[in-house]
Amino acid sequence: MSAPESSDESLLARYRAGDGPAFEILYARHRQGLYRFLLGLSGKSELAEEVYQDTWLSLIRSTSQPQGRANFRTWLYQIARNRLIDHWRKHGIHNPLHDSYDEQIHALSDDAADPEQLLSLSRDSQRLEAALQNLPADQREVFLLRAHGDLDLPQIATLTETPLETVKSRLRYAQQKLRRLLAEEVLT
Amino acid sequence: MTDARPTPDDEVLKHYREHATGEPPSHLDAFLLAAAQREAPVQQPGLWKRWVQACQKPRWQVAFASLVGVALMLALVQRTEEQPPSYDFAPAPKASAPVAKKEASSSVARSLAAPAGAMSAPAPAAPMADFAAPAQSESISAEMADEAKVSKRLAIAPATFIDDQLREVIRLQKAGQAQAAADLMATLNKRFPKENLTARLKDLQKN
Repeated sequence: MSAPESSDESLLARYRAGDGPAFEILYARHRQGLYRFLLGLSGKSELAEEVYQDTWLSLIRSTSQPQGRANFRTWLYQIARNRLIDHWRKHGIHNPLHDSYDEQIHALSDDAADPEQLLSLSRDSQRLEAALQNLPADQREVFLLRAHGDLDLPQIATLTETPLETVKSRLRYAQQKLRRLLAEEVLT
Repeated sequence: MTDARPTPDDEVLKHYREHATGEPPSHLDAFLLAAAQREAPVQQPGLWKRWVQACQKPRWQVAFASLVGVALMLALVQRTEEQPPSYDFAPAPKASAPVAKKEASSSVARSLAAPAGAMSAPAPAAPMADFAAPAQSESISAEMADEAKVSKRLAIAPATFIDDQLREVIRLQKAGQAQAAADLMATLNKRFPKENLTARLKDLQKN
């Protein structure tokens, strides 16, 4: 069995047909990315774990497959995102992803950045996390889907039901801000 | 995905991928994998595999063994019933069929068809079926016996059988049934062409 060569979709189909080990391969591929996406988006490890568990259990117990043009990865992150939004709604927490955000206001000029500064980005996990939480929720979501979900921009646009150009600008602003925040931390 | 040439922004992405921390707890991994194993749909094995698996289960082994035993017993019983009767002088019913048809009501025909073993019985009271074989196998024997077998059996018929028939001829003659006696004699001549039936008849008349 050439496990690494099997696509996510074929692994899921095999699991649905009773091949238990196929799920283990699928899980190993996506466990870290999905968890970090949820952790970064929610900002709380307990909530991230709860939604993470719900997401995988939903996948285990469901008999459905990714529909249409969605691949497994998009489908998985869509489930996780919906579960997190459901949790916020259930507990009366305001959904930050629905905030309308003026991208231009938060897009500070980053002309001062140079390659030397890039090399000195902080590697401290707490500073990385703090910088991430400093981003507006919608920018953070796009960045996390790109960084940990490894989704491309059209997939992110489809998943978040956002125009592609908006996704591009959110990602660009998020990256600029993170670079600035991490660099500043190191320089000061 | 976007541009082939890495940009400073892409470096941030790469930086986060390399240095971000956060792993799902191991107990959560174990729980989810166990749940996946537990709730995995049951894989349907092939028909042959299911058959082999069923055979390996003790209760099915007993069932199959019982079934085979019953089948063997039935086969043995059936085989025993199909064996031809081993009567020493059982005549071939088919051989007598023409005679029986021609003179169905005649006791002569019955007498001819009667087995040698039944020679002590009076001809009219000894129909072929009564002695040849059990009633159940009578029709089967009649259909299955072939001409060669009949000829062989008649050829080896003992002399007492012929004598008995000749005595019947004498009885018929004495009873005034000359035609019946002649018919029986003709039939005997036809059946046993190598025997000098006339001489034997005379001998019997003298005695």
